[in-house]
Amino acid sequence: MSPVSFKGAGELPIFSRSAGTMEWNHTGNWRYLRPRYLDKDAPCSEACPAAEDIPLIELLAARGEFDAAWQRIREENPFPAVCGRVCFHPCETACNRGEYDAPVAINCLERHIADNARRQGIAPTVVQAEETGQRIAVIGAGPTGLSAAWQLRRLGYAVDLFDARAEPGGLLRYAIPSYRLPTDVLEWEVKLILDQGVRFHPGRTLGGNLPWAELESFAAVFLAIGAWTSNPLGISGEQLAVDGLQFLQDVREGRAPEISGPVAVIGGGNTAMDVARTLLRLGAKPTIYYRRRLEDLPALAEEIGETTEEGVSIQPLLAPRSLSGEPGSLELTLMPMKVIEKPDSATGKAKVAPSDAPETTIQVNAVFTAIGFQASSGLPLGTMAPVGSWLQQLHVEETPELPILLGGDLVNDNRTVVTAIASGKAAAVTIDALLTDKHPGQLLEAGQVGGKGALSLNRLIGGDRRERQQHVVDFSELNTIYFRYQQRTEHPGLTLLERQTGFDEVQMRISTAMAMTEAERCFRCGICDQCDNCYLFCPDMSVIRNLRQEDRHIDFDFCKGCGVCVVECPRNAMILEEEPR
Amino acid sequence: MKKVLEGSHAVSHAVALARVKVISAYPITPQTHIVERLAELVANGELDARYIRVESEHSALAAVIGSAATGVRSFTASSSHGLALMHEMLHWAAGSRLPIVLAEVNRALGAPWNIWADQTDSLAQRDTGWLQFYCEDVQEVLDSILLAYRLGEEISLPVMVVFDAFFLSHTYEPVDVPEQEKVDQFLPPWQPTEQLDPLNPRALNQLASPEYYMEFRYKIQQAMEQALTSYPQIDGEFFKLFGRSYPLVDRIPAVAGKQASLALVTSGSITGTARVAQEELLQQGVAVDLVKVRSFRPFPLQQIREILGGYPRIAVIDRNISFGSGGIFAREIAGALASLPQRPQLYPFVAGLGGRDVTQQSIAEMVRRALSDAPPEDVLWAGLKA
Amino acid sequence: MPIEVPAKESIHPGHLACPGCGAVIAMRFVLKGLGEKAILAIPACCWSIIAGPFPYTALKVPVLHTAFATGGAVASGIRAALDTKGDEETQVVTWAGDGGTFDIGLQSLSGAAERNENILYICYDNEAYMNTGVQSSGATPLGTWTTTSPVSMPKSTRKKDIMQIMAAHRIPYAATASIAYPEDLVRKVQKAAEIKGTRFIHIYAPCPTGWKVPSEISVRLGRLVVQTRIFPLYEVENGVRYTLNEDSVGYLIDEYYKLQGRFKHLERETLDEIQLQVDEQWDRLKKLAAL
Repeated sequence: MSPVSFKGAGELPIFSRSAGTMEWNHTGNWRYLRPRYLDKDAPCSEACPAAEDIPLIELLAARGEFDAAWQRIREENPFPAVCGRVCFHPCETACNRGEYDAPVAINCLERHIADNARRQGIAPTVVQAEETGQRIAVIGAGPTGLSAAWQLRRLGYAVDLFDARAEPGGLLRYAIPSYRLPTDVLEWEVKLILDQGVRFHPGRTLGGNLPWAELESFAAVFLAIGAWTSNPLGISGEQLAVDGLQFLQDVREGRAPEISGPVAVIGGGNTAMDVARTLLRLGAKPTIYYRRRLEDLPALAEEIGETTEEGVSIQPLLAPRSLSGEPGSLELTLMPMKVIEKPDSATGKAKVAPSDAPETTIQVNAVFTAIGFQASSGLPLGTMAPVGSWLQQLHVEETPELPILLGGDLVNDNRTVVTAIASGKAAAVTIDALLTDKHPGQLLEAGQVGGKGALSLNRLIGGDRRERQQHVVDFSELNTIYFRYQQRTEHPGLTLLERQTGFDEVQMRISTAMAMTEAERCFRCGICDQCDNCYLFCPDMSVIRNLRQEDRHIDFDFCKGCGVCVVECPRNAMILEEEPR
Repeated sequence: MKKVLEGSHAVSHAVALARVKVISAYPITPQTHIVERLAELVANGELDARYIRVESEHSALAAVIGSAATGVRSFTASSSHGLALMHEMLHWAAGSRLPIVLAEVNRALGAPWNIWADQTDSLAQRDTGWLQFYCEDVQEVLDSILLAYRLGEEISLPVMVVFDAFFLSHTYEPVDVPEQEKVDQFLPPWQPTEQLDPLNPRALNQLASPEYYMEFRYKIQQAMEQALTSYPQIDGEFFKLFGRSYPLVDRIPAVAGKQASLALVTSGSITGTARVAQEELLQQGVAVDLVKVRSFRPFPLQQIREILGGYPRIAVIDRNISFGSGGIFAREIAGALASLPQRPQLYPFVAGLGGRDVTQQSIAEMVRRALSDAPPEDVLWAGLKA
Repeated sequence: MPIEVPAKESIHPGHLACPGCGAVIAMRFVLKGLGEKAILAIPACCWSIIAGPFPYTALKVPVLHTAFATGGAVASGIRAALDTKGDEETQVVTWAGDGGTFDIGLQSLSGAAERNENILYICYDNEAYMNTGVQSSGATPLGTWTTTSPVSMPKSTRKKDIMQIMAAHRIPYAATASIAYPEDLVRKVQKAAEIKGTRFIHIYAPCPTGWKVPSEISVRLGRLVVQTRIFPLYEVENGVRYTLNEDSVGYLIDEYYKLQGRFKHLERETLDEIQLQVDEQWDRLKKLAAL
């Protein structure tokens, strides 16, 4: 708009009055700093080994766009229904909202989103690269292998998935009890993966009826055979004890033993909890004995809570000394332990040693052990080298050209479902890198979200997350005045009696309204959620909104670079940078 | 209709006849009767207007600037210190080109306090862009209000109707009060070219840079010059409707058709006394032509030159003084005559300051001095206690 | 929770305000609350310049620029004229700075309030005569640096309590507001627009230029000033009924003072004195609001 002009007194009005607006005055040329919309990473995404785009997922869920939220999860993690039930949710621990009132119930929401997709019968949208024509062998159809298979298919590789057992799922199927993870839920999610064209070969054991030679014909091999070998108790009479993991498998396969009366469970991890709670439901009266303190229990806090609520007593600082008697009537001798060294970190465990207190002997009908696992056997000989955070590469002399990767519980100390899933994803990316002559380390680096190893496929293959600044937004970088305190949604569950007497899923569904309300609690750290603060507070009317496309940009004709928009953004989705000269 | 009205009340009734819509004024002796009567007229419904009872003169003029800018006919009145307090806003009103009419009762300025007739207060505002008409009697005061609105609205400038404290403001005279119908004919509703209107939003009176300011000032001067042409036509119409006429400069010869050797220039109520003095002097064999100056702004340069230029001597009575200079009418007249190849001898008298009486005798004395004394170098003081 | 305010925009970009100007943010929200039919009278203040010179304007409402001391009087005149035209809809608004309200304009404001003129008087307060170059005003807080109260001789008296002054006139409605609380500000404007008589809104409008702060914290200061209770958000109806709108958390004033160059020179002693004054004022306000 060009300025109004007058040639002389004759053209002027008789007194000073306006004939036009100030819009000809492009105040943008005052600027020496300029604002920019720049999304960033969030701590929840960083903490999630699978690097799920949690802020965007919650934003979509808050709007009721559960389908889109589900698809977004599946880009990084094909097991939201599973994780929504059994994950240890490091995202919630890292959630910035935790410093405000209480973390967002991300885990619960993930379950709701997945269950919603299942109820609606939605098919996942899979963006798939062109078929490369190469075949990859994945050994082990647990979460690690299945995750790798899912991502390998997306990257255009044909996948042959082998497993020693009859059904895919690994620990998910054979260890986690159905009251935590119903079988049909697992089967649905597994099917979604296999339906992508994965060839599943059940009943094939590595080192047994799956010879190594057969694998040499593949372009690459990924070994994810897990850690199914239970640690021995190392006490006399240990053959009288029942392997906890085996027990769980038997129950899952319909071979639950008849059991009643007092039983002992040795161990403190999730498996021990699962064993105890399963025994309870079968009619026995289990007690858990753990060698360290209660606060050292490695099981998930929620697991421990549910276990004790159901009436299972956990006795700390007691280790098994010896076992005698006959099956059905055993004598278990326990040694009291004492702390000799407190842990030096919040996550460390105390060091314990036998104390001087006298031993006790109890009469039990059975003893179950669940004191940890070792890597399964059957690997070929070779040298291992770590690749990224979740993998090892195996170099076998006889097949120097064949890329062999190891992942999951087989090689990781952090044995959780989501870590397994992350490991599988990393394997797919690494295999793709090795087969296309790219440096896997570089790729893994390029797809990083934050500094804890979380790998985003979206970021790696040039999705929208690549546009985000690789900076994890800290709580101190938010403008929290725009948030309101709100209680975290409680996840409803079965009554105690229902839990103790059956294998129905303990945690119940939440309503859509509850889910949307809880998702709304998410701060959306680092991503723009169209709140319009920038628009409303701009003194120069320089934020242009395209409401239909949910896009906004700065009108640099007028923006004076004051920076108010950047400061008033509640979630740090903007930056202020120097004006380019 | 003939009525006996006090000068102040004549203003009030004229304002009512003019169908003014917004009145705002702050009382100051001797203007108070104007606003009191107007408040009554509004209160009893005779005048359909809003009366804003402000807390100072500065606010009074600010208020009517606001109302005039919103397109309604507005009025205020003041005197002396009140007018002086308005000074800033007088400039603002003229610069805004708003045809506000202000009834100004000429009263002396302090310090020291003095409430009586003196023209210095209105003349001190001669640079503000307001037109100024000086009235001789109550009839002229009433008629001038109507003429002021008509002229002001035509050229878009504010007008001061000026008259002496107490001599006119508080003096009762028989007055012909025009009929409303005829006034409506003479003074139709105001059609402003610009007003504050949410349906046509504009900013008014924003800053004007050096690029524009001078042209705006030029246009005000142009409007003043236009007034000199428009006024006689308007006066002619007034005469047709009401039988009275008020030229900008009026010459009253001692003997019809003849030019005396001295012209006596007066303004305001002194003119009435001068008429009586003229008659008496004539009877004594002294012929003095009277020249009544009604319009001080715009200063009627041409008429002054035409009417006064041919006299050998002129005496000017100023009931005012600009310190360090002299009587203001006299100086402006001298200025007007300066371009003439032959100029009359000027006898500038300062008289009647602060309400001191200017009588027939003192006028006769001034005439005698003007006829016999040598041309003065300095200000001539009349009636001064030396 | 996104901020909910009316959508209408009444300001054109290209205006002459400094970057981050609180006075513009204030105007924007006020005009949102007023809607279409409003006439602004603007006495001399920053907005006399911000709106642009002849022949332009930056506002979509009619504006009458006027002399410094005349805010209350000019609005009275505009109101009278509209009344004679039978227009009861159009809001007449005086938009004045702290100079034109607390000091030179106080008389005409007081006169208008005493007459209970049917006008909405809005004072946007940047706590000094900013337009003429940051000179001290009656709204400048104790100890502040300005060009007429330099660091060697900072302002030794407290800010005038304009709300008390207005409450003493018993006008139907007076309220404080801040640019950082837009919904509150808009609500107050809308509420005021429904009331007849003199309504007064005192808006806190930070000035990055005059306060020597980076422009991007303009709104943040508007928030801190409320949170520290230095500028409480409250309403007074008919001079007697007090409503406290925001039970501020009560951060120490240091949180607000430490961000501003105009306060950089303040000694601990002065800050403590100011803290006491703020606490005292807060307690008094709570008593008045019967809390």
